[in-house]
Amino acid sequence: MLKEIGRGLMTTFKMMLERPVTIQYPEQKRPVRTRYRGRHILRRYENGLERCIGCALCAAACPADAIFVEAAENTDEERYSPGERYASTYEINMLRCIFCGFCEDACPTEAIVLGDNYELSFTDRAQAIYTKEMLLEPVPPGGQPTPQKTPPGVYTRAVPEMEDPKD
Amino acid sequence: MSKMVTLTIDGIKVTVPEGTLLVDAARQAGIHIPVFCYHPKLEPAGMCRMCLVEIGRPMIDRNTGQPILDENGQPKLQFLGKLETACTNTVSEGMVVFTQSEKARQGQKATVEFLLTSHPLDCPICDKGGECPLQDLTMAYGPAQSRFEYEDKIHLAKHVPLGDLIYLDRERCILCSRCIRFQAELVGEAVLTFDERGRSSQIVTVSDPPFDSVFSGNTTDICPVGALTTADFRFGARPWELKAAASICSQCAVGCNIVYNTRREARSDGRIVIKRVLPRQNEEVNDLWICDKGRFGYHYTESRARLTAPRAEGRPVSWEQALQKAAEGLRSASQKALIASGRLSNEDLYTLKRLADHLQMPAYLYTPIGGGEWVRRYGLSTGSDLSALGKGDAILVVASDLYEEAPLWYLRVRQAAERGAALIIAHPRTTRLERQAPHQYVLRYAYGDEGEIIERLRREAKIAQTLHEARNLVIFFGNEGMGLEQSESLAAACADLLVETGHAGRIHNGLIGVWPHPNAQGAWELGFQPIFDLQPLFETMDALYLVALDPFGDGWVRQNGRKPFLIVQDILETATVRQADVVLAACAYTEREGTFTSGERRVQRYYPAVPRYGDSRPDFAITAALGAKLGLNLEAQSAARLFQEIAGAFPAFKGLDYARLAETRPQWPPTGRADYPFSGTAQPNTQGMGKILSAVAEGTMTPLPPTMQKESLRPEEGTLLLVPIHRLFDAGSLLTPSALLHGRIGAPHIILHPKTAQEAGVTAGEKVLIEWEDRQAEALVKVEEHVPVGVGLVPRSMGIPLSRAARARLHLAERVR
Amino acid sequence: MSQYLLLRHREIPEISRLEVYRQHGGFEAFQKAVTTMTPDQVTEVVKASGLRGRGGAGFPTGLKWSFMDRKSWPHYVVANADESEPGTFKDREIMEGNPFQFLEGVAIASYAVGAQRAYIYIRGEYQHIARWLDEKIAEMEAAGLLGEKLFGTDYSLRIYTHLGAGAYICGEETALLESLEGKRGQPRVRPPFPPTFGLYGKPTVVNNVETLTNVPLIVQNGAEWYRRMGTPDAPGVKIFSLSGRVKRPGNYELPFGLTFRQLIYEYGGGILDDRPIKAIMPAGASSSLLRVDDRVLDTPLDYVALRQFGSDLGSASVIVIDDTVSIDWVIQKTIRFFKHESCGKCTPCREGTYWMKHLIDRIREDGKEEKQVKLLLDVARQIQGKCLCALGEFSTMAVVSGIERFPEDFRETVLEGVPG
Repeated sequence: MLKEIGRGLMTTFKMMLERPVTIQYPEQKRPVRTRYRGRHILRRYENGLERCIGCALCAAACPADAIFVEAAENTDEERYSPGERYASTYEINMLRCIFCGFCEDACPTEAIVLGDNYELSFTDRAQAIYTKEMLLEPVPPGGQPTPQKTPPGVYTRAVPEMEDPKD
Repeated sequence: MSKMVTLTIDGIKVTVPEGTLLVDAARQAGIHIPVFCYHPKLEPAGMCRMCLVEIGRPMIDRNTGQPILDENGQPKLQFLGKLETACTNTVSEGMVVFTQSEKARQGQKATVEFLLTSHPLDCPICDKGGECPLQDLTMAYGPAQSRFEYEDKIHLAKHVPLGDLIYLDRERCILCSRCIRFQAELVGEAVLTFDERGRSSQIVTVSDPPFDSVFSGNTTDICPVGALTTADFRFGARPWELKAAASICSQCAVGCNIVYNTRREARSDGRIVIKRVLPRQNEEVNDLWICDKGRFGYHYTESRARLTAPRAEGRPVSWEQALQKAAEGLRSASQKALIASGRLSNEDLYTLKRLADHLQMPAYLYTPIGGGEWVRRYGLSTGSDLSALGKGDAILVVASDLYEEAPLWYLRVRQAAERGAALIIAHPRTTRLERQAPHQYVLRYAYGDEGEIIERLRREAKIAQTLHEARNLVIFFGNEGMGLEQSESLAAACADLLVETGHAGRIHNGLIGVWPHPNAQGAWELGFQPIFDLQPLFETMDALYLVALDPFGDGWVRQNGRKPFLIVQDILETATVRQADVVLAACAYTEREGTFTSGERRVQRYYPAVPRYGDSRPDFAITAALGAKLGLNLEAQSAARLFQEIAGAFPAFKGLDYARLAETRPQWPPTGRADYPFSGTAQPNTQGMGKILSAVAEGTMTPLPPTMQKESLRPEEGTLLLVPIHRLFDAGSLLTPSALLHGRIGAPHIILHPKTAQEAGVTAGEKVLIEWEDRQAEALVKVEEHVPVGVGLVPRSMGIPLSRAARARLHLAERVR
Repeated sequence: MSQYLLLRHREIPEISRLEVYRQHGGFEAFQKAVTTMTPDQVTEVVKASGLRGRGGAGFPTGLKWSFMDRKSWPHYVVANADESEPGTFKDREIMEGNPFQFLEGVAIASYAVGAQRAYIYIRGEYQHIARWLDEKIAEMEAAGLLGEKLFGTDYSLRIYTHLGAGAYICGEETALLESLEGKRGQPRVRPPFPPTFGLYGKPTVVNNVETLTNVPLIVQNGAEWYRRMGTPDAPGVKIFSLSGRVKRPGNYELPFGLTFRQLIYEYGGGILDDRPIKAIMPAGASSSLLRVDDRVLDTPLDYVALRQFGSDLGSASVIVIDDTVSIDWVIQKTIRFFKHESCGKCTPCREGTYWMKHLIDRIREDGKEEKQVKLLLDVARQIQGKCLCALGEFSTMAVVSGIERFPEDFRETVLEGVPG
């Protein structure tokens, strides 16, 4: 019987020498995998214009019906995105979202990406609705916030040029 | 019946009438041949080359005329070396067609690849994306990848306004010419055309003002790509996000079947709102079309001026308080009357009539045109169909500018005339119907001579003969230049003509009143009496119950100290509402269900599209609640139950109920999701095509002699006769909330003949002061050739309160100041 | 017998004057037809002569006339003088030099089909010819050869000229009719064909200038006489418009059945600098390129013989190409032309020519990648057999035949010093 106790304790002593598995969250955070699907981010171009064109394909792809998009038309006086159309309202209901990433797949301009942030907590349902302002990434250095005043004739393409997904 | 022909399409035997186009024959057999430029309502053009198929025709022995047989005893087939278009080839006996053979698929694939070389592929932001024939057919028939270098793509303007209402995206356009052909062939106004040639071809508008047509919105429905979009819906929503509710257009008496597409909108504080209006197929009423007023004029239902709660003495109160006050007002008044307009449903009007009878007060219909009693008795009857009119039939249009007053009837009449019906127009000036439809006879008369129109028609030997010999006769009458009494006499004279020529009481025959409101006919059927000049009532009555009308806003009623106790029931904050003692907030017809009776006596159902606005209630419910306070028990919940009561009480409605009104019949062309490439985005009719009321005329014919008042005003040398006319786009309270239409509505104006303008010393574009009777108004001068000399045409509901023809003086506004 | 039947002005310089033309038998045929023959008899003579349309398709003229729908009236005759095929310049010479014979042909054709109105649709660039013909028509009217009750009979005829606005497509007969009606020059869907549904929806016969110019001689001298010339399949004479790298380009009126060798070396004087001949385009820009060898050079020229080489005689506008010219340059020329002239009505032609133009420009500028050449060939084949009218088809002829028959020109780099 002592033998059994000794064997058991041995495991204990061995583990005492190992590095602990647990971490001190939230002081300490574990890095996520590269393909981790956390909170969504709405991206911008380098000049600060929003990538989102308000096409609502993410909302169409969403199996949980968590995304609500409403579009409006850009003008050169007040430009949000390079094309003709931008999202005037963009909301994701994080209570509904199942973080499947279909929205990311559906996006023709790679505007919506699922980021690393998994720290989502709310105290009521209304808080769970993330608006466009909350989702948009900060204006990159050298860029301008939206809406921008842009010279006429520059952003004439309906959909900005897209990268071939195969490249 | 024409000869039937049997052919084989993809192994399926199809029997269709001779002369049927292959693409239609295939569609009848359930086979979709892909098309872009072809549309079942238009002449085939054979331009897009999408419908390429292999066609084999039996070889015929020249000597015997019999098909040559092969060794198996089957007719030998002869195939042309190349593919043929299914939209231009008609069927022939023994034809064998392959729509999905390797060769045909190659041809269809090639066409899609060619089309896509110049197409921007901006589907993610395109309003058509999701209901786009090019998108669908690319998925079904196109290559997975284009071999075209992206840098070589042609770039063209993407935001070209074709008029106020329609935008053209030149990149998306595939040059199928459906829009051009719709305007030229169906509407008869060639306002669009191609400019340039080859790859530089583009759609341009050649009219001034641009895209000068009230049917322009339909081009966006039949556009097979997102090249034509409406300014109203631009980027409004993706089609798959929209919900649909069947409804009836409320803008005129035609009763076009429509669909309201709705969506919850953040911009509107999260309310569910109407995003767009699409035509709903009803081949007996509006085919696949609606006019621009119907398509863009719905914004009043979500106007900021909507009443959200009842009021008393200008303050919001509870329904209980408001109804109590209204009931007291009515109870204590000795002289009282009820006035309703044709905007209300049959159910509303029925409850109102019951209330009026209960309180022994008259129930009036507020209308500028009279004669509904005659339409009730001599109107169209069950089974009639304007689209059945053609060769051998006659259509008489009297004193009505159908294009402006009831655009879809213009379209129907024009189509019937194209089919060979004899169109006879009696009007004091040249209207668009006269210019754009093939007509047989025109009777031109002077304003003021309306009393003699029918007599003159009888005297013209050829016209009289045509009317007598016509298999079917339909008469449309309006009230241009006439007051209520005169138009009543005209209606009586028209009815008399129907009886005299032996057309009364027969199917496909009858009298149609071109009412300005969707359910005026319903009011006539339910026994309302017409009234237009309300001033005497305001001067004599102690209490008035006004439902869905705005006499103060129209300018007919003037405050002169005495004011009866006013109960006003409406949906918008109008000038009359501001005068009211009690305001009862009704909900718009889009927020409830009900039925309208169109000018051709067709009863049609509409369904709720959006939730009720604020604390508003359906009109019939309000009236019922008011009735309850006055000791009358009325149905307050169910419109369907009310309609049953109507059907029980009025013989014309006998046998009808909501279920029967919701019946549909198979229609050609097929519409719906799978048929967008074929018929456009007009919606299928699944919720009811309506029923025409049964004939009253049979057996009860007691024609009265016309009683036209002879003291009508005629144009005279040296004076100006003002005549009110109907314009489609007026500044009425139901249209002004549609900001989009302001360009079409324009400023208050008076239209003069060049000579009249010259005599008055005014020129086009100048502002003048018009003085008539004891009134005056400012207006811009327009000069048009079609106006008779000495006459000034003043559009109704445009801020110039002219209720009937009057003598007037013109001054330059500048000079006055 | 004189040397010329059509280009008679080369022998009789003043034949464009009415009295000179009449001295040489002018309008006798017309008078004979109107006064002594029934319209059907005239048609029969033309049918028997074996005269075929000279505009390119080679359809038997008499047969075309007999197709006229007799239940629908009035009938019209339209002369197609929209000579717009690159390399074709024969009608111009006829109308400039020998206008009355052409007009007499129009008149006889009108009589034969019962038309009392005839229109001459002239390409926009031939303004001077339109004015010239107007003068001639006025002279004829003054001389009682046109107008009411001709030669004492009940037959009346008026001829009008109409100028096009410079579109190749208006040489296509239905596009020509649309243009004549004042609409956009775009081809109509066929059937119905013009003999049942033509100008203003009425039966119409549309004939080329050269075809009609043959008619007076046939009526005057009879079908047998005409058949003695040319080949059994293609009787009579033809004007060959010879151009390209030959010493003596120009119009040559010769009987059918002679060979390219005769035409190019005997009449055309051979190739410039006596270089070797490389290719022939027998029917202007819309023809397939023929790779020249002895067999080709010795083939009799008629409507059938050239088919064995995958080409057509068309309007016989023979363009000669020698070895200094690279075929990719030829193709670029033709594609640019057809891209410019595509009316835009049907998709394959509108988009296909645009695509081909970009491809050939790329091939010519960026070097000849095999992938691009193959794609060009594919696109051209993809256009074939799908277009509304023949123009779309024409635009691919040179491309397909050029790439297939001259693969070497699409392998090497672009030749320097190409004639521009």
